[in-house]
Amino acid sequence: MIEMKKNKHPHFQKNAVIDEVVKSLLFGFALLSSSFIFIVAGVILVKGFSPFFSDNGGLGAVNIIKFLTGDTWLTGEAFHSNLYSVGFIIVSTVYIAILSLAISLPIGVLTALFIAKIAPKKIAATLRTVVEMLASIPSIIYGLFGAGIILKLVYNFSAVIGYQSKGGNSVIATVIVLAIMTIPTIASISEVAIRSVDKTLEHASLALGASVTQTHFKVVLAAAKSGIFTSAILGIGRVLGEATAVSLVAGGRRSGLSFDILDTTSTLTTIMLEGLKETSDLDYDIRFSVGIVLMVVILLTNIILNVVKRKVGNVDVK
Amino acid sequence: MMTIENKIVFDIKNLDLFYGNFKALKSISLPIYEKEVTALIGPSGCGKSTFLRTLNRMNDLIENCKIEGDIEYHEENIYKTGIDIIGLRTKVGMVFQKPNPFPMSIFDNITYGPRCQGIKDKAVLNEIVRTSLEQAALWEEVKDRLKESALSLSGGQQQRLCIARTIAMKPEVILMDEPTSALDPVATAKIEDLVVELKKNYTIIIVTHNMQQAARISDKTAFFLMGEVIEYGDTSHIFSTPDHKKTEEYITGRFG
Amino acid sequence: MSMLNKRKVNDGILQGITYGASFFSLFVLLAIIGFVFVNGVHLLNWDLITHNYTAVSFIADLKEGTGPGNYETDQVFAEGTYYSDKWGIALADDTNVQGKNVVLVVYVNPQSPFASLHDKGISTVPIPLEKDYEIIRIAFDGASSALSVQGAQNMITILDGQNSFRELEFSTSGGGIRGSIITTMYLIFFTLIIALPIGIGSAIYLNEYAPNNKFTRLIRLLIETLTGVPSIIYGLMGLAIFVPITIQLTDATGGNIISGSMTMAVILLPIIIRTTEESLKVVPDDYRYASLSLGASKTQTTFKIVLPNAFSGILTATLLAIGRIIGESAALVFAIGTTIKDTVKITDKSASLAVHIWAMMTDEPANIELSTTIAIIILFIVLTLNISIKLISKGMMRKFGANA
Repeated sequence: MIEMKKNKHPHFQKNAVIDEVVKSLLFGFALLSSSFIFIVAGVILVKGFSPFFSDNGGLGAVNIIKFLTGDTWLTGEAFHSNLYSVGFIIVSTVYIAILSLAISLPIGVLTALFIAKIAPKKIAATLRTVVEMLASIPSIIYGLFGAGIILKLVYNFSAVIGYQSKGGNSVIATVIVLAIMTIPTIASISEVAIRSVDKTLEHASLALGASVTQTHFKVVLAAAKSGIFTSAILGIGRVLGEATAVSLVAGGRRSGLSFDILDTTSTLTTIMLEGLKETSDLDYDIRFSVGIVLMVVILLTNIILNVVKRKVGNVDVK
Repeated sequence: MMTIENKIVFDIKNLDLFYGNFKALKSISLPIYEKEVTALIGPSGCGKSTFLRTLNRMNDLIENCKIEGDIEYHEENIYKTGIDIIGLRTKVGMVFQKPNPFPMSIFDNITYGPRCQGIKDKAVLNEIVRTSLEQAALWEEVKDRLKESALSLSGGQQQRLCIARTIAMKPEVILMDEPTSALDPVATAKIEDLVVELKKNYTIIIVTHNMQQAARISDKTAFFLMGEVIEYGDTSHIFSTPDHKKTEEYITGRFG
Repeated sequence: MSMLNKRKVNDGILQGITYGASFFSLFVLLAIIGFVFVNGVHLLNWDLITHNYTAVSFIADLKEGTGPGNYETDQVFAEGTYYSDKWGIALADDTNVQGKNVVLVVYVNPQSPFASLHDKGISTVPIPLEKDYEIIRIAFDGASSALSVQGAQNMITILDGQNSFRELEFSTSGGGIRGSIITTMYLIFFTLIIALPIGIGSAIYLNEYAPNNKFTRLIRLLIETLTGVPSIIYGLMGLAIFVPITIQLTDATGGNIISGSMTMAVILLPIIIRTTEESLKVVPDDYRYASLSLGASKTQTTFKIVLPNAFSGILTATLLAIGRIIGESAALVFAIGTTIKDTVKITDKSASLAVHIWAMMTDEPANIELSTTIAIIILFIVLTLNISIKLISKGMMRKFGANA
């Protein structure tokens, strides 16, 4: 008679216990992984809000309204003032993001169209590899490239038109560097969207006497709208968060909002990097506050763009 | 005609099985006899495989699957709380429809089960491999290439390997879920011969789509239809003078 | 007819723009690689990897009892290298980053008095003059000094005319990236040790154990949101949490490699989890069923059958992680710091290769040359990793494709 009662076959029961222990351990890991988002958010929020609600070692609390709307990063001497403001930087950051997207989106989408629909197989494969390689280049190297080449170009160009540029550091240099960083993201996601457009739509267009190019631009791209939008959202997320590359070409502007593309500028990320080597107390805490602002800006752009996407993309292609 | 009854190995009593709200098995009651081949026949989707999987609790892996009723293995309900499921599976082995050898050598495939149970002695493992492959009628064909990948074998050989792998656990019962449906006629015939040979030492329950197969190799047959057992009895009886009209219709090919 | 022409013109323009845009990417890639290569390749040599970054200056004079002699040698020196038989050293001219002329040591005879000099500073340990050191000046009693701006030949000539010197000012070779390379390797090692178990473990739980319910979906969502956070924010978190933790638990006094590794681990978690889960999914259920039906426990099934078959996916995840670690700059600037070190301690600040570039580029003056050299190294590694990942993926397809 085969006995399977609990206390016989200790070896088998040991296995069952091991199973439970291992399962709990792995569950613990999963729980830990999912808790990090809270840890990140918590830290940034706690440290970021403290300048507004504490005395900051005798300097007084930072005024939240002034912080969000002013146009000078630091009025007064460092470590002796609580007059910080990122207002103008918020605007610059968004301005730069929009400009760079205005460049990277068309180029990225057209590249995707070319790879997906126009190029012969071998060229398409090569270009796809090129895009992948660009995607894997670390951002610091883009920054290096910007500092080495783009800055010189901007400097020379502005000399030609009689503008005294600060070594080429400018909005336009930042925009260019960010744009070329974002093109791979937009191209690869748009390519997927374009390739999943139903061929019967194309056939219908061609059958109506439209040319191939017209079909591509009027039908295919329109049908891939939703995916292209997604790529833009991801692209802009990357742009808003980019730090070290931008810091090498932006110029570190500390006050005054300017839309002049040849002017120096700052972004939320570069101002966080400013003066990191000797910082303490309020100067140190205030970077977390900027971090909160950055996250809010990213979140808002995501929400707004997603709403727009839903309204614009009614042809649902996966 | 009733033959001399062997001991009952599995006694299923009023088994109901639910996938969510769908009742897949309805009031199944039947005894499985020792060292016999019991065939489960019936049209597709009528619960044969589902029923088979209740016997080694492989249905536990499917979410939303609920059991009501008793399945007694040697007079002990295997769905009682506290039952050693892992132990059960070493006693009730399973061969699947599609051969599924591990991507390892032939040798490692067979020794996998024993090694999980803690057997490490090389001499013992070698012996297990030889005996299992002999019993599965595969030894002569692979004895010189035990270290080769199991995936290099033909479909029929892979299935016999899976049988050998199961036998290596020295089970009492072997469940076979349509073991030859993915194989060619020659390989099928080899496995059928094997089953007839194996029943001398093992209790075998085999799900099959192939009625001729059931008629050829089984001692008892159960006819499943829409989750119920319509008729169960000696194979010779079922295939010559079935009691139920539905059974007759199925066997003569009027549906299924 | 004119409608057709108009359309043709339009189409032509659109096509032209499309072609232009597409090859723009190729152009950019070539420009970046070209720029990095042209500027950096001439510094690329073995010494770069083995030397310290910071050059140290010494002032020395002759040790007691040592002096000039006869150090004739069979060594043949290249054109422009000047050897002094009397002193046993060979010097040559070179230009430094700023474009000024410097005198470099090419060879020091082991018996030469220069092989073991007396440090006029605080140290009592004798210092050797070694290859690639830079001689700044040699001062003599009763003769004018030999300066580096005057060239190597001049220096050798003056030396040959003297029997002793008052002081020798030289500096060790710098501009090497050994410290940063070691830092990067430590960083990779510690990050993987933390991130791989947690990441792979989480992936195993999610794919093999987790029930399909709201709670599991929530866990997945929380992990996915980590990908939308820019790395600079993780840097802030690392600075605020991991640095204090490491200060408490070790002898660290500020940012350090351990805190950097912990920060990188959090950044890498979503990638590792996602990639591992994909590779677990590809393992056929058949294997799991076979294993369980043989009486193996779930743990045995997972670790003996599923995980080994998901190995290539896990390898891919690891390579992706390594690529990301090498390229990361912003997070590490906060979580470790930007001090370039020659002796690397894991409980101390140091710079990884990418951070080294940033530190040099934000210095005055920015060292573009060395930065591009490091960039070549980084690009080479990243490219190799990417190709490896592609090959592994192809191999994975073949393995499971065949076993249908």
